[in-house]
Amino acid sequence: MASTDRHVILSVRSASKIYRMGEVDVPALRDATLDIFDGEFLIIVGPSGSGKSTLLNLIGGMDRPTSGAVKFLDQDLSTGSDWELTQFRRLEVGFVFQFYNLVPTLTALENVQVAAEIANDPMDPMKALELVNLADRADHFPSQMSGGQQQRVSVARALAGNPRLLLCDEPTGALDQETSRQVLGMLVELNRTLGKTVVLITHNGAIAGLGDRVAVIRDGTIASVEVNEHPTPVEEIRW
Amino acid sequence: MVSRVLLRKLRRDIRDRKWSFLALVAIMAVGVSVFLSMAAVYQDLDGARTRYYRNYRLGDFVVDLKRAPDWTLDEVCTLPNVREVRGRVRFSILADLPGLVKPIPGEAISLPADKPPAINGILLKSGTWFSNTHQREVILDHQFATANHLKPGDRVKALLLDKQHDLLVVGTAMAPEFVYLIPPGGGLAPDPAHYAVMYMPHKFLQESCDLEGAYNELIGLAHDNSSTSLKITLDRIERMLDAYGVTNTGQMKDQPSISVVRDELFNLKSTATIFPLIFLGVAALILNIMIGRLVAQQRVVVGTLRALGHSRLTVTLHYMGFGVAAGVGGSLLGLGLGAWIQSGLLEIYNQFFAIPDIVGHIYPGLMISALGIGIIFAVLGTIRSCLKAANLEPAEAMRPPPPESGGRILLERASFFWHRLSFRWKMIFRSVFRNPFRSAVSVLAAGIATSLMVATICLVDAMDYLVVHHYDAVAHEDLSVDLRDPKGERSLSEVKTFPGVSQCEPQLAVLCDLTNGPYQKRTSVTGLLPQSRLYTPLDDSGRPVTVPDEGLILTRKLADILNVKVGDRLLLRPLIAERRKVETQVVGLVESFLGLSAYCHPVYLSQLLGERWVANRFLFDTYPGSDTNAFMEEVKRRPSVTGIGDRLRSYKKMKATMEEFNGTFLWVTVLFSGIIAFGSVFNTALVSLSERQREVGTFRVLGYSSAQVSQIFSGESFLLNGLGIVVGLGLGVWFAHLLSLAYNTELYRFPTVVYGYRLVEVALLMAFFVTIAQIIIFRMIKKLEWLEVLKVKE
Repeated sequence: MASTDRHVILSVRSASKIYRMGEVDVPALRDATLDIFDGEFLIIVGPSGSGKSTLLNLIGGMDRPTSGAVKFLDQDLSTGSDWELTQFRRLEVGFVFQFYNLVPTLTALENVQVAAEIANDPMDPMKALELVNLADRADHFPSQMSGGQQQRVSVARALAGNPRLLLCDEPTGALDQETSRQVLGMLVELNRTLGKTVVLITHNGAIAGLGDRVAVIRDGTIASVEVNEHPTPVEEIRW
Repeated sequence: MVSRVLLRKLRRDIRDRKWSFLALVAIMAVGVSVFLSMAAVYQDLDGARTRYYRNYRLGDFVVDLKRAPDWTLDEVCTLPNVREVRGRVRFSILADLPGLVKPIPGEAISLPADKPPAINGILLKSGTWFSNTHQREVILDHQFATANHLKPGDRVKALLLDKQHDLLVVGTAMAPEFVYLIPPGGGLAPDPAHYAVMYMPHKFLQESCDLEGAYNELIGLAHDNSSTSLKITLDRIERMLDAYGVTNTGQMKDQPSISVVRDELFNLKSTATIFPLIFLGVAALILNIMIGRLVAQQRVVVGTLRALGHSRLTVTLHYMGFGVAAGVGGSLLGLGLGAWIQSGLLEIYNQFFAIPDIVGHIYPGLMISALGIGIIFAVLGTIRSCLKAANLEPAEAMRPPPPESGGRILLERASFFWHRLSFRWKMIFRSVFRNPFRSAVSVLAAGIATSLMVATICLVDAMDYLVVHHYDAVAHEDLSVDLRDPKGERSLSEVKTFPGVSQCEPQLAVLCDLTNGPYQKRTSVTGLLPQSRLYTPLDDSGRPVTVPDEGLILTRKLADILNVKVGDRLLLRPLIAERRKVETQVVGLVESFLGLSAYCHPVYLSQLLGERWVANRFLFDTYPGSDTNAFMEEVKRRPSVTGIGDRLRSYKKMKATMEEFNGTFLWVTVLFSGIIAFGSVFNTALVSLSERQREVGTFRVLGYSSAQVSQIFSGESFLLNGLGIVVGLGLGVWFAHLLSLAYNTELYRFPTVVYGYRLVEVALLMAFFVTIAQIIIFRMIKKLEWLEVLKVKE
């Protein structure tokens, strides 16, 4: 699929983020410009400390740029209030974290309900679990599940609010190869069948082949954005 | 041994948790300050009292009689255990002060004119001693003189027997037997302005009272002043002086003025023990939770320290340092606060008790104990977690802790209930049940704070109830007049004509011995008309009792002391007139919270005295707006009058005293309870927040607002504290009941009074404290750098 056919749902324009650490300013992101198209699978690759998490935070409405703009459709996220950003995260974004971040005192199903409960048009939490093939583990607590299973619950939770954007921060960072492959396959599947826009950040170049487009980030700047005409199937990924 | 780097780390650990630390220090400070202040005031007051009693030679026993010749004193001195005696004249008087229409009741007491160190001596506060023993001179009670702006050189008039004397005030003085001066019938509060104690030269008073060469009160010191020995001695004296009309014998320590101070000292001692135990105990429990969390958070640090070669002891002491710092901080603050409370309390005692030199002292020993107690509780609170830290093997400690176990809680078995809960409440319930110790501490602390408030408020309401019962429910007269001796029916028709009187009822009050086998009590028996409307003793259900033609109605406490119930028989012997012993029956019981009264028909009591009908007290109802001055003028002209009562005035005085004292008492208790409630809520919520920061971050990322996240934490807090409040309300009512059992003396008794609206008030107040703490937690959640929290794996 040619990316030019689609319209932009989120745009980052000349965004910089400077953290003030005590007496010194540390630029984490410099002059980044990036468009995210509706329904694409975008992979952002970069070594640790390159600024990819900072970029993801801006895209996900968890932080505001020091300068520049981040727009979701017509909504300017860089000047949005706390409440507007909260609403944005609630309705438009689903997050998948490296360490799953499940609530240990809630079962798998209840963890999914956490996101479904505050959404406008939620997916049935049980259905979300079915999508990640965990319907039979609905009653299990995180401590009773493997890492891969926990990450799948986390994916189900990200889906539950029926968001347009799925943002995944090193989703396989804590998983072994086989499990990683399962989780990635699932994300690709969701992108293809449900049309969810997926943004995945990773330091692992081997994964990059999965995406429709690959942005490379280095030293706080976006070094390149390339269209991948023929994404590699998950089974062929090696690392 | 003590590493400077670790000390620096400790300092920073404390700085990072400064609000928890300060809340903890506040609770400890309250505990230590209560201990120090109560113990110090105890020593100050006890010391002042003991010095005063010793220096002014307070007697051990007192015997009242009609009239005994002076030479009998030598005979009494020959009795075993009698060390020294003094015969004095003590007489009821009416004082007439310049500018006052109402005569002031009081008593005249004789003193030797040559200023020897007499038994029951006085401390001259101003002026001089009598110039000689026949002079018409008077030394006034210092408080009375001050309240009425009288000073040496002024003149006062006093009615003694039937003659009014114009007396020169030569001095003012205070006396150990009038430390807490409660006028007869004056309830519990001293009213120095309206009770005149006057000391007069012995010979002058003997002459004026028709007691030349005689005395009517014997006071003495004993070799052995234990209760049993004194009782035997008093029995011997009573037998020896029986012919001279012994009307009363007693031990000095049972006099209200003496026993009130003793009871107060006992209360101070209990408070100094119980309160600090509660506060420091709660502080220790909270510390336990806090240090437990600190060690869990710094698990890797502990492992690293141990791997670097620090000993178990160093690690233990390092984490104990946090608790000890709170203990030392709390104790030092408590010492300052304690000194402040001490001076405040002494000021109150100085108002209530006429004891010279109630001065605050610094007791280094007590201060060291206070400091030690604070530190001991701090160590007790930290020891468990410190040992846990020390016992972690380095390799194990550096690995992440095992994941928090999932698993179900018992409540989930109630599936009908469970499935209706939102995930938020499921989280709350699981968190509550998976941290049973922390949850229990929250409930306990809220329970203690609530119960302290409930018990205090119930006690205050009980006092109020008692006063209303005494002055309003039972007594209804406007004015009352007491006579020196019982008079016949003519007196009634005479007082009925007093100006402004709309209704008048006679009473006859006689001091009697009541005996039931080995149980004996000397108390006043009041002859009361069955149709009396101005004075209506009430039974258990609050209905006025009707006095029967024969037999006695007793207050419940008196019945308990005499071990009798309705229908039992006992022996009754009046201490005046013929003093005949008769058998009588208990025909009813009444509830009363002050004194030990007994009631019977006035004719029945008169006949026991060998009379047809006599009375020595009249109650008056006056027409609204009538001029009491004219009434007082009439009263003043009658030498047989020894006392005048003004119910509404006493009522007001009592209420004012209570409001002043109880107001402070209430505020301090609410403040202290608030500190416990706030400190506990705040600290447990903080620990819970620190454990679940990652959850907060996750929820925020998922699109929950800070307010929604706070609801999860506040839900847990409100659930636990709500439970604590409910438990505390019950516990408080139980405490109130225990207090009413503890304050059950012959002088006064506190009923258990629990008003529903008071419980609601306390619950709301507690909810307020919890809410304040939650608002602070909410602000912390709002400010939490949740992005940072999510970045690292815990």
